[in-house]
Amino acid sequence: MNWSGLDISILGPAFLAGLLVLSTHVPLGREVLRRGIIFLDLAVAQIAGLGVIIAYNLGWEFGSWQIQIIAMSAALAGAGFLYWCEKRWTDIQEAIIGCVFVLAACAGILVLSSNPHGGEELKVLLAGQILWVGYAQLIPMAMVSVLVLALWFGLRTKRHPLLFYGLFAVAVTSSVQLVGVYLVFASLIIPALAVRRLTTKALQYGFITGAVGYGLGLSLSALMDWPSGATIVLALVLPGIVVASLVSK
Amino acid sequence: MRTFRRLLAACLLVVALPSQAALQIFACEPEWASLSEELGGEKVKIYSATTAKQDVHSIQARPSLIARMRKADLVICTGAELEAGWLPLLLQRASNRKVQPGQPGYFMAAEQVERLDVPQVLDRSMGDIHSGGNPHIHLDPHRLQKIAKSLAQRLTQIDTTNKTYYQNRLNDFQTRWQIAIQRWQQQAEPLKGLTVVAHHKDWRYLLDWLGMQEVATLEPKPGLPPNPSHLAGLKKQMDKQRATMILRTGYQQARPSEWLSDKTGIPAVQLPYTVGGSNAASDLFGLFEDTLALMLKAINQ
Repeated sequence: MNWSGLDISILGPAFLAGLLVLSTHVPLGREVLRRGIIFLDLAVAQIAGLGVIIAYNLGWEFGSWQIQIIAMSAALAGAGFLYWCEKRWTDIQEAIIGCVFVLAACAGILVLSSNPHGGEELKVLLAGQILWVGYAQLIPMAMVSVLVLALWFGLRTKRHPLLFYGLFAVAVTSSVQLVGVYLVFASLIIPALAVRRLTTKALQYGFITGAVGYGLGLSLSALMDWPSGATIVLALVLPGIVVASLVSK
Repeated sequence: MRTFRRLLAACLLVVALPSQAALQIFACEPEWASLSEELGGEKVKIYSATTAKQDVHSIQARPSLIARMRKADLVICTGAELEAGWLPLLLQRASNRKVQPGQPGYFMAAEQVERLDVPQVLDRSMGDIHSGGNPHIHLDPHRLQKIAKSLAQRLTQIDTTNKTYYQNRLNDFQTRWQIAIQRWQQQAEPLKGLTVVAHHKDWRYLLDWLGMQEVATLEPKPGLPPNPSHLAGLKKQMDKQRATMILRTGYQQARPSEWLSDKTGIPAVQLPYTVGGSNAASDLFGLFEDTLALMLKAINQ
């Protein structure tokens, strides 16, 4: 046991990053479940990652705004393509999403085969280092979240499927760089799954489920000295199961 | 519940104890933790961020890293960009003014000595090349001696009250180290002039000290994982000009070196690389003893 890590100034920024991720991912996750396209975020995140790698190989530096724009454009293009697939081949869309995921992942490996530094950066992009997040990085993240939420709930009456795909790409691209693809997937699916049967206040309970998971995971990672990202993913399951079983009663 | 309360009370007691006068040292790698131990003795309290089982080029973020960095009076790392993937982020998140670059509490071992293979031109196509030269400096005992001297000075600068203590520890260490170097160099005489294949350029300084030569690496370029065509090329190269052993660390994959060993009959040797990398390498002396013993055993097979 290690009590010194249990410090709000150490865990605080990571927890806030988690809350920001949850704010957009709980409503988007419910939509993902409704549409039955669970692996959409893996595919979109991987395409964003591929954009980053290609841009890096062309000579841009990590963390620059050019890379952000390229990652965002790649994710939007990928999401647009998957929306087109939904319309064109509804019955096999999930299979196409899966193929796009492995294609983008393997294309990334090929591009990186001559670039060792890119490999480390890609690992960070996918596995995430939520603990390194500082307050300064939370500001752009918060702005993106507010924008996504405003458009998502502002246009709720005339929601076009394309709006969902577009906002999804934006939300995933910005969150995946802070917390990594595993945490993004868990934040998207686990809370939404837990409150699936709720008809009222589903978003609120989903958000609380996720927040408890992040709090639990971060505390455990501090106490047991485990890597934070993976611990939070595992910890999210606990409130997820509790809430799901309470809801089904 | 009672046990829990007792446990909590015990924890609080530990926290509430007046922070001992001991100097808090944050070491990025076990070799620097061990050197700090040699020089600081009971006047310092050391935390090592990594173990011999980890590749220090990249590590996972844990809350305890930030907590320890925050409390540190002295951060001792290799530098030369070895920890470039995480040390700057950690320093920033810990925001401990005492250990920021430029402060006495920031000690980079590689900056104390001359490095080999400092590139003339930096080009990403060459692989994971560090602009500060090869950072794996701790396996040259002469450089280590120099670093020990600088570290003792730094300890004195930060903790002036124990000046004589550190000086005595340094003198004692230098004497023992000098004798050990003489012995090692005698032992290592049969290794002189031999050639090796290395997994990564981890052994640059060790080989330089022993008068040995690295003729190839399993990695096609530094930092890139070994691939089949490169390994096949190495096999051909070995058929023409046989090296005496294939070296790797404990944290590198065994398969590439075992494959080449299998195909060529050249022994594959796992060396401790740093303190804790084998049972015998429990401190810096043990590290060098065991490294030489393993290499000598390989050529006598």
